[in-house]
Amino acid sequence: MALEITLGTALAGVGAGVAIGFAAFGSAFGQGIAAASSVGAIAQDGDMFARSLIFTVFMETQAIYGFLIAVLLMVFSGLMGGGAGLSTGAGIIAVGAGLAIGFAAFGSALGQGIAAASSVGAIVEDNDMFARGLIFTVLMETQAIYGFLIAILLMVFGGIIS
Amino acid sequence: MADELTVIIESFGIPPEALLAIIFVAIVVLGAVVVIIITRPLLEIYPYLLTNAKVRARKGKLFDEKQFSEIIEADDVNEIVNYLRGFPDYLEHLEKHSVEKSLDIQLAKTYVLLARIVPDDIGKAFAVLSKKPDINNIKSLITAKEANLTKEETLNLLVPVGKLYNTCEQLVDVTTVEDIVARLDGTEYGPVLEDSLSQYEEKQMVLPLEFALDKYYLESLILASSVPADENTTILHSYIGSQIDITNLKLIIRGKADGLDYEAISPYIVENGYQIKEWKLKDLMEADNIPTLINGLEGTDYYTVLNEAVTIFNESGSVSIFENALDEYLIDYANDLSLKKPLGIGPIIGYLNEKEKEIKNLKIVVRAKRESGFSMSKIQEMLL
Repeated sequence: MALEITLGTALAGVGAGVAIGFAAFGSAFGQGIAAASSVGAIAQDGDMFARSLIFTVFMETQAIYGFLIAVLLMVFSGLMGGGAGLSTGAGIIAVGAGLAIGFAAFGSALGQGIAAASSVGAIVEDNDMFARGLIFTVLMETQAIYGFLIAILLMVFGGIIS
Repeated sequence: MADELTVIIESFGIPPEALLAIIFVAIVVLGAVVVIIITRPLLEIYPYLLTNAKVRARKGKLFDEKQFSEIIEADDVNEIVNYLRGFPDYLEHLEKHSVEKSLDIQLAKTYVLLARIVPDDIGKAFAVLSKKPDINNIKSLITAKEANLTKEETLNLLVPVGKLYNTCEQLVDVTTVEDIVARLDGTEYGPVLEDSLSQYEEKQMVLPLEFALDKYYLESLILASSVPADENTTILHSYIGSQIDITNLKLIIRGKADGLDYEAISPYIVENGYQIKEWKLKDLMEADNIPTLINGLEGTDYYTVLNEAVTIFNESGSVSIFENALDEYLIDYANDLSLKKPLGIGPIIGYLNEKEKEIKNLKIVVRAKRESGFSMSKIQEMLL
């Protein structure tokens, strides 16, 4: 049975793809940067495993934000069934929402990955750097949160989540 | 809001499929531009992440100021040895060798380790650096043979690190320096030594052979880093180039102190430095005395460093004042370089610099403790 998809719903699909695509790309890249540094640290000091894992896991959140927005877009645009489909205007807003979280999460994850890699290096050199490294690494989370909030607001006030 | 937007879009009369295609293409292009612009520089740091973490872990294990004070406070060498036994890196060697040899082994192993773990773009220079233990072993072998040391004494001078260690170990039984050179024929050092053999035979001094090896090593080192392709290799080039500048300066200063002229000094000079180019080197070698030589360095960092040491030199008359000033400058310079690229070559240079400094300082302390009459404050002064 072929599903009748409106232009707005199709655009929401693009938005969902952008949301998870860019967010996951940045997240994977950032996590890769942190993981490469962590493996080096653990190779020299086995006790670094738990602390390195904390810094490597951080970048998972950006992919989760992108994933949530993508799922919300798919559910409320009728792509997963149960809806009438979106108007063209709402579809364009959905693309905007996807772009907002996609790019914000992409940049945030990359920045966080670099900071996390540096922090792991600093901690393996000096154990006392853990708390300070954590604070600096957490900072980049805010940009992803801004993107996530704007994406939600766009969906709410753009008539996608009614 | 969405309905108003729909009306605006429909007023343009764009077909729905075309609008979808335009938006899709725009996102793909925008995405591609962002990804390429942002990820390209990041790909440069990727190869350094693993190495830097390993290097920084090792840097964290170097002695800090407090630990060094404890070492200086030791009553004698045995106490230092016992202190060092508390650290796995040193314990391993102290079980079998003297403290001086253990320190040499540690440093040699550091060179070999770095050559193994550094990224490919700087790998060639570090591969040359890892040849230092081989060169030192050949020099020890030649010196020992010239001094007619016994097999055991000669073996004791060799550091069991490097590709040529086994060859050097076998050469302990060889009777003359000429035979050693002949037996090294199949190695890269064979032709280097053969070229200087006539000078050795003429002067009956191993110095020309040692200088030839040092020159070959430094030339190989600068050659391996001579084409800087990015910021990392540029930093490496300036670090290695500065080492060569300083080696050249030390040679020229010593030469001038001994009253040697251009012809006598020039064969031992490595031409491609960093701040001091070939023409400048010629001027320096032709200088009449040390103050003229220092004035000739105006415009380089070395001028300030050496000029500050002139007063103490005038009082003591010892050129080691200049050598220490240059060594300290190199340590500070390497330290500055190590902060320039924290996700690139910086930590590697920082670790190498700190490790060399630690070993040199430990050797100074051990030597001072072996000879009586050095107060703690005097030892502290002698440290780099």
